[in-house]
Amino acid sequence: MVLVIIFLLLFGTASSEAVNRILTVGLYENSPKVFTDENGKPSGIFIDIIAYTAGKEGWELKYVPGTWDEGLSRLEKGEIDIMPDVAYSAEREKKYSFNKVQVLSSWYQAYARKGSGIHSILDLNGKRIIVLKKSVQQEAFNRFSSGFGLNMDIVSVSDYKTMFEMLSMGEADAGITNQFYGSVHARKYGLADTAIVFAPSSLFFATKRNTNVNLLNAIDRDLAELKKDTGSLYYHSLRKWTSEEIPFSIPSWLKFIVLAAGAGLLLSMGGSFILKHQVNVRTRELKEINAEMEQRIVERTAELAEAMERAQDADRLKSAFLATMSHELRTPLNSIIGFTGIMLQGLAGPLNNEQTRQLSMVQNSASHLLSLINDILDISKIEAGQLETRSEPFDMREAIESSLRTVMPQAEKKGLPLEAVIASDVGMLKSDRRRIEQILINLMGNAVKFTDKGTIRVECRTENGWLVTAVSDTGIGIESREMEKLFLPFRQIDTGLARRHEGTGLGLSICKRLVEMLGGTIGVESEIGKGSTFTFWLPLQLNT
Amino acid sequence: MKKILIIEDNEQNLYLLTFILEKNGYGVIQARDGRSGIELAIKNIPDLILLDIQLPVLDGYAVARELRKQQALYDVPIVAVTSYAMTGDRERTLEAGCTGYMEKPIDPLTFMEKIAQYL
Repeated sequence: MVLVIIFLLLFGTASSEAVNRILTVGLYENSPKVFTDENGKPSGIFIDIIAYTAGKEGWELKYVPGTWDEGLSRLEKGEIDIMPDVAYSAEREKKYSFNKVQVLSSWYQAYARKGSGIHSILDLNGKRIIVLKKSVQQEAFNRFSSGFGLNMDIVSVSDYKTMFEMLSMGEADAGITNQFYGSVHARKYGLADTAIVFAPSSLFFATKRNTNVNLLNAIDRDLAELKKDTGSLYYHSLRKWTSEEIPFSIPSWLKFIVLAAGAGLLLSMGGSFILKHQVNVRTRELKEINAEMEQRIVERTAELAEAMERAQDADRLKSAFLATMSHELRTPLNSIIGFTGIMLQGLAGPLNNEQTRQLSMVQNSASHLLSLINDILDISKIEAGQLETRSEPFDMREAIESSLRTVMPQAEKKGLPLEAVIASDVGMLKSDRRRIEQILINLMGNAVKFTDKGTIRVECRTENGWLVTAVSDTGIGIESREMEKLFLPFRQIDTGLARRHEGTGLGLSICKRLVEMLGGTIGVESEIGKGSTFTFWLPLQLNT
Repeated sequence: MKKILIIEDNEQNLYLLTFILEKNGYGVIQARDGRSGIELAIKNIPDLILLDIQLPVLDGYAVARELRKQQALYDVPIVAVTSYAMTGDRERTLEAGCTGYMEKPIDPLTFMEKIAQYL
């Protein structure tokens, strides 16, 4: 009897949830993307889209109004299901899941009072700037402006409306907003856009990480569909919310037509004449706006080209610094490695056993130092965007064999056999041989380093358009809580066994970045005391 | 005896390369800057030129281009020896007319093998 009741209860709740799901949506004021209209109704491009999907799926929407950062905190705590209009960033991806089809693209732009004299980024020096609290723009703005050595007073507010009010009252000199909000509202507050444009971003719906995935999928499905058809709700919504507010009232038109019809042919002709005239006036207005826009685009493009050049200057400086460091660090090592090598070869005369032993230690330390320098330079180059990969055909077998030869002496020293199992269909690959060997040597080197007995094994095969390469060992293994940190830079340092094994802890993060630059992914499986397997997938056919 | 011209401004490196090559039975001609390197190359027509890239005044790329203009040096292999190892360095040296590219620091164990490849 009791069982039956429980069953009924379960059944009852499950079915009611499926039929009428209530979805809580964060609402904040960022017109025209998300906002509350004068009648208190949630509106905007994002709202149109979620309402569309909700209508199709039979969900009931419940809006939870608040500021932008309240919305984000609620999302994080699971108090609401979804937030509209969230710019994607790698940092945010740790906390939120995003839908996949981009809803809008936007960029940030500084707005100032008309005639403020603020045109370019340099004009912001010594000024008071308002940014939106907890938004990606603050960080992006800092990054964008830091290269110019400016001194600014940054104030953060919780919504754009406050920002524009403060600007129009003269409480600050410029505000950073997105192009949507700016283009629609600036005029009303006596503000104008400036040429300070930065950080193009992609805007999405976001949920708390790994929750409401079905919801995101449903949005993606609808969005992909809507974006295909230029007459769809998506484009209609874009046009509706982003057009400038030109006073142009249709009801007076209608009245006019009704009147004209009632007054007979003459009046109607007169009416149509006036109508035509009105249309002409509007057309002229639109043409003027259009010309003005084009002019602005030309100006903006010139400003952007200038900003781009400055950025490239900074880039060149960075490259020059890295090249110099690389040279300066390696030159002394050239002497150390070169001369110890010569002496150990006996080229400068015979050595006794003790001298040989000691010089070998110098040699080992020097080559270790060289590999550390190479690691640090590699990660700096990757971070500075200076590392480029090539795409040339080569034989993957040869690359594996050559990497095996490099690691062989280390393995022999520990008495570990190195095995390679290469499937017969593995052959030519179009990728970066040098980088692939670097990845292989790194993984095999780690395998040898963390294994005392057993075997190191490299397996390579093809699978659904991917080249799959796995390096397995029978070593100490990795604890599961360490696994996720494994590919982050400098990680060896905070693990318990760290200092027993030399290395910068940069190797795996370099491997990960290299694999990604080559269009692939890398992963690890491990069992404590049994060993680890690092596997990387590379595309057999590069798209570029 | 085969003659190898080394163009290198760093004294220690110049000594290191000279020492290894002489011990292995090669004749070495030393040049400490690009200008005299070009002159010595024209005068001696060596069997191989080892060229440092980071040279003062006239850098290695310019030296290589200059050397390649000489009819008599047309077939002489030029190997760039550089500690730059930045994106595009290898391509740049090859474009300038070098035959090969070696990264510093050199490893005495494999150095002679690499040299033999070019001779």
